[in-house]
Amino acid sequence: MRVPLFDRVTETFTRHLASHSPRRQFLARFSTLVAGSGAFPLLPVQRAQAESRTVPPVQPNIASDFDRLAQSTDPTKCNYWRHCAIDGVLCGCCGGGVHTCPPGTQPSPVSWIGTCRNPSDGRQYVIAYRDCCGRTTCASTPDCHCNTADREMPIYRPQASNDIIWCFGTTSTAYHCSTAAIVGQA
Amino acid sequence: MRRFGHRCQNKAFAFFTFLLCSGGAALAAPATPPLTAETSDVATLPHFSDHWALIATNNVAFTLYDGDKGTILGTVPAKMIDNINISSDRAKIYAAVSMWSREDHGTREDFLQEYDAQHLSLEHEIDLPPRALAVFKQQNLELSADGQWAYIFNMSPATGVSIVDLHDRKVVRTVDTPGCALIFPWAHGGFSSLCGNGSLTNVAFDGKKAQVTQTKSFFDADTDPVFEQSQVDRHTGQALFVTYTGMVYPATLSAQPVLGQPWSLQEAASQPKAGTGVQELAWRPGGKQPFFWHKADNRLYVLMHTGTYWTHKQDGTEVWVYDVVQHRLLQRIALPGPTASIAVSPDTKHPLLFAVQPSGKLFILSAESGEVTKTIEARVAGFLVVPTP
Repeated sequence: MRVPLFDRVTETFTRHLASHSPRRQFLARFSTLVAGSGAFPLLPVQRAQAESRTVPPVQPNIASDFDRLAQSTDPTKCNYWRHCAIDGVLCGCCGGGVHTCPPGTQPSPVSWIGTCRNPSDGRQYVIAYRDCCGRTTCASTPDCHCNTADREMPIYRPQASNDIIWCFGTTSTAYHCSTAAIVGQA
Repeated sequence: MRRFGHRCQNKAFAFFTFLLCSGGAALAAPATPPLTAETSDVATLPHFSDHWALIATNNVAFTLYDGDKGTILGTVPAKMIDNINISSDRAKIYAAVSMWSREDHGTREDFLQEYDAQHLSLEHEIDLPPRALAVFKQQNLELSADGQWAYIFNMSPATGVSIVDLHDRKVVRTVDTPGCALIFPWAHGGFSSLCGNGSLTNVAFDGKKAQVTQTKSFFDADTDPVFEQSQVDRHTGQALFVTYTGMVYPATLSAQPVLGQPWSLQEAASQPKAGTGVQELAWRPGGKQPFFWHKADNRLYVLMHTGTYWTHKQDGTEVWVYDVVQHRLLQRIALPGPTASIAVSPDTKHPLLFAVQPSGKLFILSAESGEVTKTIEARVAGFLVVPTP
């Protein structure tokens, strides 16, 4: 069967790109782009304040158990709203913060993704659960070790799987703790 | 008063004399021979029993437990990111391990350790390409029934599988499995992996060449994905793929897998099929290791809880036992508390149910009556492995 010219050109280009681009470099740059893109639009919190002070109620038919119990004041608790699909030790309990790695560790350039509802503004946000890497696992108290699973998928859907050690592309792939950074509004 | 004191002194003297005499007699004529000097030796184990289990403990080891006595028989070191499996003849224990030369940094090494199951002695180490690092899943390290091949799941994050020749003790090749993950071995010559589009990728391997085939999608990975911990019988290549809602997809794996008629865990228990509603309360499967397929009895043990969709990691409160052929609920076993993981001993005479709580407590129950026979503060990390029949 004759392959169309466009397909051949595309395939040649893609193969060239694949064979000349280090995968980790690509992942690092791509994830930086994805993560950084959330910074360009107005911050969701600012937008929420500008538009309205009224918080839309949780729609009963789409609110998960986690949504209904989530809080937006203490990010060192498993029921903090961004932690709807986190599996691991919260970096906020380990000398870091909700999007900050503890001293001496390194954030993973890639991550799994969750979609969580902020009870303060009623909006859904895409959350990047980046692991902090390069130190032995943080020995926090057990209540900082969370395992939630809203929209969490098996490892054959890796972008939504929270059982994977996501320390790809870091100096050391040893797992220390997990963060939950806002990427943007879902 | 004085006379009373005098009498006391006399009595004390008599008692002291008695003690002295009896002690002197003992020194003079010992009743038993003295204890002899001992030689330090090392325990060995009999053939791997049906009632033994390797249980992940304290994130430092898999501890070998005797389920009848509730006692420890030995230890195989392995961390949370490592993996373990028992050969079909139970003569070997394999641990897939990743570590760094300087604890959390330095040169990373991945290797497969071969332990002799009778002495728990480390016999060989086989270098591996970087493995997938994830929370323990049996499906990341599988063995062929004939004992020749080990299959190890890799993720960089591109996915693939390393195939190890356990006779020659070397990696013979890696196979890329883009978009697919985990390992479900066939009866002979290959394995299948679950894919993100709801299909299976099938890798036939004859010792030299690998040929890959793909099935059509048979489950909807968007709305009702199949559990990673789905079960396979390495001796027959038969698999039971169970979804988050509780649909069971039977399959016989090969280069061209044959899929059976799906059935529902809830309908088999005379209940409505569970859906995907986030407020739809139903009995659902869940946990860290929520399934065990008892091949000899052809029964599927499922850790169940009442919950809504997306509670697939929630601890179970009961074990439901199914007849896999008749698609019928046979028994419900109430557990002593919320349970993360289960496994069942492979025998049919008096099978034991191992149940691990998130607190680290291990319960051993009769799989027939549900009666708790042992409770152990085992510091279990949530995963356990038992031998195949």
